[in-house]
Amino acid sequence: MIDAQIKISVELFGKAEQYARRAGYASVDEFISHILEKELAKLDEAEAQELIKERLKNLGYLS
Amino acid sequence: MISTPIIVVSGLPRSGTSMMMQMLEAGGVPIYGEARRQADADNPRGYYELARVKELVKTQHHTWLGAAQGKAVKIISPLLQELPGAYAYQVILMNRDLSEVLLSQNKMLARRGQQADKDANDKLRASFAKHLHEIKNWLGQQANFKVIAVDYRQVVNAPAVQAKRLQEFLEINLNLEKMAAVADEKLYRNR
Repeated sequence: MIDAQIKISVELFGKAEQYARRAGYASVDEFISHILEKELAKLDEAEAQELIKERLKNLGYLS
Repeated sequence: MISTPIIVVSGLPRSGTSMMMQMLEAGGVPIYGEARRQADADNPRGYYELARVKELVKTQHHTWLGAAQGKAVKIISPLLQELPGAYAYQVILMNRDLSEVLLSQNKMLARRGQQADKDANDKLRASFAKHLHEIKNWLGQQANFKVIAVDYRQVVNAPAVQAKRLQEFLEINLNLEKMAAVADEKLYRNR
């Protein structure tokens, strides 16, 4: 896998570094990746729920 | 806890829930409510759906369920978690191949002048699979829900066997011949 880079503010990076250390992550990269994965999973779940709701409405099973 | 269970026929739309309601009715199970969604080409005998069920998600007024005790009511699986804990439920959960479910739903949408694209279908398949997995887990954790899983294909192929299973699950005497005849008719229509 090719790693990508993103830019965040130095202040935010510093804060993330502190939390990563406290939470026992090996690196701030690992910490941020974990947070992103969790948030994206939440968005996926919300999208899935919305898709089902929309389909039920279109079929007339929900008002 | 009120003891007489409400018989809930559930599953995804187009998974055979209306057929199951027809079978129960033919077998002698009282059906709750009269104002069912009108029959059309997708469900020639009507949908057995009540407007009140659709409102389960929006309102806390569940008192009508009291009158559904000992009767069968169709509630699609995405609404099961809205049911109040004050009642006991016997859930007949219809399972059907998701490709068949989506195909049937898409035909229904097409009759309504709507189209479902392939991307939406793929996402929906995954969403439905996840939903079914979660709802089965959830049902297994509810003390007031007794559940039987019924496979659509098995009902169509061996209705008498499934009718007998249902009789044992519901613990009431049913007219098994009439129940089987409903599914036989379905098979005949689909030939």
